[in-house]
Amino acid sequence: MNVAPRYLGRGSWLARRDPRVLLVSLALFVFTVVQVWDLRILLVLAAVAAVYYRSAAIPFEAVRVQWAYIGFFITFVVVVNTLITGGELRGYTEDELHVLFHLPLFGTPISAESLTYAIAQFLRFGSMAAVGLPIAYAIAPGDIGPAFARLGVPYKFAYAMELTFRFIPSLGADMQTTIDAQRLRGYEWEKRGRTPVGKLTRTVPLITPVTMNAIVGAEDTIDAMDLRGFGTQRRTWLRQLAYDAVDRAVLAGFVGLLVVVTYLSFTGRTDLWVPEVLISLAEG
Amino acid sequence: MSSTVLQEDRSSAMWEVTTRVIVYAAIGAALYGVLAFFSILIPGTANVSVRPAFAIVTFFGFAFGPIVGFFTGFVGNMIADQISGWGLLTSWNWSLANGLVGLLAGVFGVWLASSISNRLLRAAVASAAAIVIGFLFVFTDIWLGTADDASVALTANYLPVVVSNLIASVILTPILVAAWDPIQESMGR
Repeated sequence: MNVAPRYLGRGSWLARRDPRVLLVSLALFVFTVVQVWDLRILLVLAAVAAVYYRSAAIPFEAVRVQWAYIGFFITFVVVVNTLITGGELRGYTEDELHVLFHLPLFGTPISAESLTYAIAQFLRFGSMAAVGLPIAYAIAPGDIGPAFARLGVPYKFAYAMELTFRFIPSLGADMQTTIDAQRLRGYEWEKRGRTPVGKLTRTVPLITPVTMNAIVGAEDTIDAMDLRGFGTQRRTWLRQLAYDAVDRAVLAGFVGLLVVVTYLSFTGRTDLWVPEVLISLAEG
Repeated sequence: MSSTVLQEDRSSAMWEVTTRVIVYAAIGAALYGVLAFFSILIPGTANVSVRPAFAIVTFFGFAFGPIVGFFTGFVGNMIADQISGWGLLTSWNWSLANGLVGLLAGVFGVWLASSISNRLLRAAVASAAAIVIGFLFVFTDIWLGTADDASVALTANYLPVVVSNLIASVILTPILVAAWDPIQESMGR
């Protein structure tokens, strides 16, 4: 079972950037996007996200499942929000909504405003996912620890981050071995129970041995680190990181976006903007 | 040594960052990220899935302390989201909520030591309390726009995640503690 993110963006323009650029850019972008509901601004941000994502040169075939999952999740969020709120929207009274049609069975009114809101949700989450995905696929596995350490994360926790990513492939392999071993004993994890408790208890013969093996196996790592004096003094990293001019330009671009959007948000210009064509459709 | 002194020792020791804490934190986060593969989306909720592996968060918090618990929940959830494609920081507030649950499981595990002597029961109670309190953080979805209002945040996010994780943790955490205790004893840790 290969659950480890692969270095699919190796050699791409984005992979050649300092790994801190990818982490900081995502944080800046997330805080930019969450302030915006205006479709026009969101389209600009989506375009920025698309260009950024393309620069990682991640083959679509390799991440098709991830994009399908993202699409499914966003649809789910939008549909559930619409159904539970009964088509109501924050900041709008019922009279202000321009109803296009009512959902069959549920009777939920779908208005120009709620449709715009749904499109905005797609753009918001799609953009964030596009800027976030390269972190998994365009950062060299060995750069994770130094990147977090140089971002100010205490070196012990930065090392824990690196260890986490190193453990993932071996734990994935352990899980596959456990699945195979349990299958030989007649256990079939694919046959899940029908109730939540049934589904849960079906996972016990997998989760318990994988967890216990991992903890027991960790003793070797602990001993090795203790023997090398981990934690006795500040750690240095073999990999040296330094921003170049392009890295600084990319970061400046994302900082600029955040500043501009924050200004627009404070001046009330990032609220939901409903296209005239949808309103006229509702009225027509 | 009196029980009060023992309690103080446990309380101060749980915030120490040793090699063991770092490695267990990394193992916990990686395990949570990997085992979150077993996710089942709950019908009728906004992005909430049953993750039996969530018990890893409460177990690591309870067994190895709040720092390990926080790291396991916070980083583990980010990794699980990243592996699934959702993105490392897209639902950063949910990762933080997961981290808070792990942290509280560790804190409650120590605090409840004097009042609940049965370790398995204590694990279940500490996990349940940690989940109910820790996941209150997902109400930040209202500010982030993922939930339209408090009723959506409550009915589509908070309640489903709390119920599903309560079921997972109250059942699985004591099982993991029961499996770990004899191993810990045999290892002399």
